[in-house]
Amino acid sequence: MRFSDIVKLTVGSVVAQRTRAYLTATGIAIGIAAVVLLTSIGEGVQRYVLEEFSQFGTNVIAINPGKKTTFGAPIGAFGTVRPLSFDDAEALRRIPYVTSSVAVMQGNASVEGNGRQRRAVVIGVGHEFIKTFRFQVALGEFLPDDDPRAARAYAVLGAKMRDELFANTNPLGARIRIGGDRYVVVGTMQAKGTMLGFDLDDTVYIPTARALELFNREGVQEIDILYAEGAPVDEVVAGIKRILIARHGGEDFTITTQQQMLDVLGDVLGVLKVAVGALGGISLLVGAVGIFTILTIAVKERTAEIGLLRALGVRRAQIRNLFLGEGLVLAAAGGAAGFAIGAGGAQLLRVAVPALPIHTPLSYVLLAEGIAVVIGLIAGVLPAHNASGLEPVEALRSE
Amino acid sequence: MRWIDRIRLAAGAIIRHPLRSFMLLLAMIIGVAAVVILTSLGEGARRFVAGEFESLGTHLLIVIPGRSDTTGGGLAMMTGETPRDLTIDDAVALTRSYAVDKIAPVNVGAAAVSWGGLEREVTVIGSTAELMDIRHWRLSAGRFLPPGDPRRATSVCVIGSKIRDELFANTLSVGKWLRIGDWRCRVIGVLATEGRAIGLDVQELVVVPVASAQALFNTTSLFRILVQARSNDVIERARADILETIGARHYGEEDVTVITQDAVIATFDGIFGTLTLALGGIAAISLIVAGVLIMNVMLVSVSQRTAEIGLLKAIGASRRQVTYLFLTEATLLSVLGAALGLGLGQAAVYVIGELYPAIPVRAPQWAVIAACVTALASGLVFGIMPARRAAHLDPVDALARK
Repeated sequence: MRFSDIVKLTVGSVVAQRTRAYLTATGIAIGIAAVVLLTSIGEGVQRYVLEEFSQFGTNVIAINPGKKTTFGAPIGAFGTVRPLSFDDAEALRRIPYVTSSVAVMQGNASVEGNGRQRRAVVIGVGHEFIKTFRFQVALGEFLPDDDPRAARAYAVLGAKMRDELFANTNPLGARIRIGGDRYVVVGTMQAKGTMLGFDLDDTVYIPTARALELFNREGVQEIDILYAEGAPVDEVVAGIKRILIARHGGEDFTITTQQQMLDVLGDVLGVLKVAVGALGGISLLVGAVGIFTILTIAVKERTAEIGLLRALGVRRAQIRNLFLGEGLVLAAAGGAAGFAIGAGGAQLLRVAVPALPIHTPLSYVLLAEGIAVVIGLIAGVLPAHNASGLEPVEALRSE
Repeated sequence: MRWIDRIRLAAGAIIRHPLRSFMLLLAMIIGVAAVVILTSLGEGARRFVAGEFESLGTHLLIVIPGRSDTTGGGLAMMTGETPRDLTIDDAVALTRSYAVDKIAPVNVGAAAVSWGGLEREVTVIGSTAELMDIRHWRLSAGRFLPPGDPRRATSVCVIGSKIRDELFANTLSVGKWLRIGDWRCRVIGVLATEGRAIGLDVQELVVVPVASAQALFNTTSLFRILVQARSNDVIERARADILETIGARHYGEEDVTVITQDAVIATFDGIFGTLTLALGGIAAISLIVAGVLIMNVMLVSVSQRTAEIGLLKAIGASRRQVTYLFLTEATLLSVLGAALGLGLGQAAVYVIGELYPAIPVRAPQWAVIAACVTALASGLVFGIMPARRAAHLDPVDALARK
């Protein structure tokens, strides 16, 4: 029997039982569609979160006081016996590859200006903040390069803060009060939106030294280091450790590189994505049971036909391939349809719920089809084996 | 045809094809068991988290310095730095309200503790004697912080069991002088091993008087105030009283956020409820696939039993009776599948519960009912088409077929 004959016979038997083939493929299609849709959502969420985080640049290193962490946030940010100081931040500039160093202190205060009042996040930063975290200034300029210990009382408003306090008027040069102290507005920031429920625009930026005074603290909560593109991270981290240990007499700080955080986050979300896909795979399992059942029935129904084929000299292996091929065709058709339904559903969802990040990579076409084919083969093994094991004489007599 | 005949006929058809029937049952079992197991896991996670929050205390309110006009609050809420301090005096003033039963001001920070040449970085919590009652902690040795004026800094501390093990090993820890940062204090008690609070391992805590912690971390502001209301009914009143008292003390500026434990638990309940529903829904897709399979096999069965149907119609069976016959077969299969799947699912849940006793896995009732109903419905719905096809066969043609 030639290969083209096997193909013809297989396709012929699938087409002959159209309803049956259609229903069997539907089972697989539903399973594949579920897997494709769910992993598309998983992939979308993963990309969305990673993009949210990497918009602040990937070559940033954060240093927090204290070595213990809870929920990923170092306890030392709340209170510590050995705080990180300004001088620490300045000293870190000496490390090779480091291009900027920003000491950050944030809190919550009432901001008054233009006759209005609003409680918001007040962040004490240095002039290199926008460079480090890739923020853009909308109006005026960011905080100037003052002596960090005696910075002038300038403030920069976040986009939302500007809208709330000044609406359509020009805020530049206006005087505002933050927790009782007076500041001059020198600039406003471009809108950044929210990140993980934290509104990045409802903020006011002031010099770190003034924030420390405002909140009555002696140490900063975090020092952020920007290093040159392509620099060896390990060397920079080692440099930070060396300098801070020399200054503090011991390792009483936590270093988190942005890259490290992204990697961990990517891993966690990747596992979640696979897990969600696997849940959808339960339907695929049921679909496989369907192929198995239908092929078993087919073998029983076509016993006489198999006997005839065997009597005509078709070998056992060829009979086996015939049924394996039938399972494969059913599964592959189901897989293709399932991918179309799943990807289509994902696109529909994206139109219907724009907030939900959904992404279907092209590699999923191959993956979905591959899974379907493997399932078809596995489900077909036993029926095909049974078919090839039939005795020609017995089988012919069963008519 | 009596209904007993119908069931006998349908059961006979099922038993005559053991392999085929077994595969149909298997499909149903996988679907139902998946729904039961997945929703149990979701429900277990929900109960676990709710339990964690409940173990924080009862009728609890948490006062956080700082208030944001944006909902959510975000990171600044976590650090809780404000220009006007939330002081110990503010905390003490809260006890004047009738609705407030106990208060515990809290400061938290990181510090190195050392004893006899061993050093360890730990989380230090500053609070008062009431903290133990509010959080339902227990001691394994010694006693907790002594009651008294919270403004007085005394040189005593209570340590977690893990710190005791690592610093003191087998020697007696109570009565020893421990060094925290540059400050020395006497160990007066050891916390019992049980008890975890969200994110904070009680075994790795050092608890000191709140005034001592403020001196240690050089701050005058509190991190949180835990307030226990007198009863569940007065929680809202306690909340109003707290805002009024602090407002009056802070010259009319409302610069604290009060969150109630119930609100936090409700939020998490909502999140985990949705999660469980989604998991159940994903698993239920497999029940639809099982339904498609039932339809497929029933169609095969109708075409194989054409002669039998012809005979039934020839001896006077109506269309309705033939329809019912096939629907009965589909129903029997799905009921049996659902029952077995339920059994398998519950068994798996039991095993998971034995393996991980910390997580209270249990199938929610609605999920069990929904799984069975979905299984039954998909069997019936997908059984209709084959049954109608059988019913509409012409008796003469059907009989002539063989």
